[in-house]
Amino acid sequence: STSSVLSEDKDKSSASKDSTPEGAAKEGGAETPMQKLLDVIGDMKVEVSYRKKLQQLKASENKKQAMNKLEGPDSENSQGITEDTQRGKPLNPELVKAASAVASSLPHNKKQTESELLAQLRRHEETTDKQKKRGTLNIRNVISEMTIKKQSPAQRGVRLSGRISLQLDEDDQRIRRERSLAQPMDSRSLKVGKRLNIFTKASTEPEHALKTVSSPTIWDLEFAKEVAAVTAQPPRNGFEEMIQWTKEGILWEFPIDNEVGMEDDAEFHEHIFLEKHLEGFPKEGPIRHFMELVICGLSKNPYLSVKQKVEHIEWFQNYFEEKKELLQEI
Amino acid sequence: MAAAALCWALSAARQVLPSPCPRQVRSYYVDWRMLRDVKRRKLAYEHADERLRINAIRKNSILPKELQEVADKEIAALPRDSCPVRIRNRCVLTSRPRGVKRRWRLSRIVFRHFADHAQMSGVQRAMW
Repeated sequence: STSSVLSEDKDKSSASKDSTPEGAAKEGGAETPMQKLLDVIGDMKVEVSYRKKLQQLKASENKKQAMNKLEGPDSENSQGITEDTQRGKPLNPELVKAASAVASSLPHNKKQTESELLAQLRRHEETTDKQKKRGTLNIRNVISEMTIKKQSPAQRGVRLSGRISLQLDEDDQRIRRERSLAQPMDSRSLKVGKRLNIFTKASTEPEHALKTVSSPTIWDLEFAKEVAAVTAQPPRNGFEEMIQWTKEGILWEFPIDNEVGMEDDAEFHEHIFLEKHLEGFPKEGPIRHFMELVICGLSKNPYLSVKQKVEHIEWFQNYFEEKKELLQEI
Repeated sequence: MAAAALCWALSAARQVLPSPCPRQVRSYYVDWRMLRDVKRRKLAYEHADERLRINAIRKNSILPKELQEVADKEIAALPRDSCPVRIRNRCVLTSRPRGVKRRWRLSRIVFRHFADHAQMSGVQRAMW
């Protein structure tokens, strides 16, 4: 199962790498993208079926045997190097570093993964260089070149199907396999899908910021109203009618809450002891007498909120201040 | 001026009800008297607090009389339609000023019409 897992890993990592030529997984951002990668791999592992696992085990065993035939990892590395020289294009050193970092972080055969990652990068560079319309042919060439590594065609087929038909149940395997082989490899193309932002710092995505319009236009409101009017079907029975009425506010909610709509957060002492609001008034005289009566009345009033009572007293304060000259004549 | 009043009445009367149930939708007031009554109610609501406070100063035996006279003049200066006495409880459907039952806000004729067609909940012909 390791080989197929690694192949999927390569797909994702190389896809993101390919789209971002900078590529270098820096230490600061390496942890969370690495976690993301591992999560992605973990998710992918779950979806692989048991039958696939068997085939993949077989494939991995055969591959290991093939590798063993090639006298160990040194010759493999040399093969990788010879492949590099054959292709004739030097890979971006940052990409190489990134590949080594990824390989070191993954808990599998490090050198093998590194070499495989580099080979995948090579392949992808080739495909991007050539025209994308001919992607199928390029990939087929690439696949045929894979025989250099001495893989049998059966393993190749298994690998392909393992790459493509990940999300299938065991029932759909046969049908999908034919379709997948018939279709070009770009059915799971690289540029499609949301970016994982593993190898680049997530650009703040001004697109999303633009989309959140602060003031919805009139046309949006009208459209929303239209949609609501169309989707709101007439009630099929009495229960739905009652639900609709409750939403509109015609029917109360049961059990009846006596304090619906009343959000008075003030304590009782704020309603009753209103003398502290009387500081703006003179301490003696008929006005004070009058205001004390007003306060007495307000403290007994259960219908007004504290805010309204305070406004009441302030109105009187303003009124008497305006009439001060008149009062002083008296 | 009439056109402006009409536009105001239309905007005041129109309510957006996106409900599919086929209710009778009335987008105009029944007649101009009903409209005037609506205006009076609105103004009375707006000036209710002021009127209450000025009247509290007026109907007072503690404060000096000069102050009360000034308050008299102030309350007379408020718009005439702001006093609640001018509101008339008209029938909601026909705008009839007389014979209106307060509980249903309907005139006696409309009430009888609906009750006989069994469209008044809990209302039955009396027989004893």
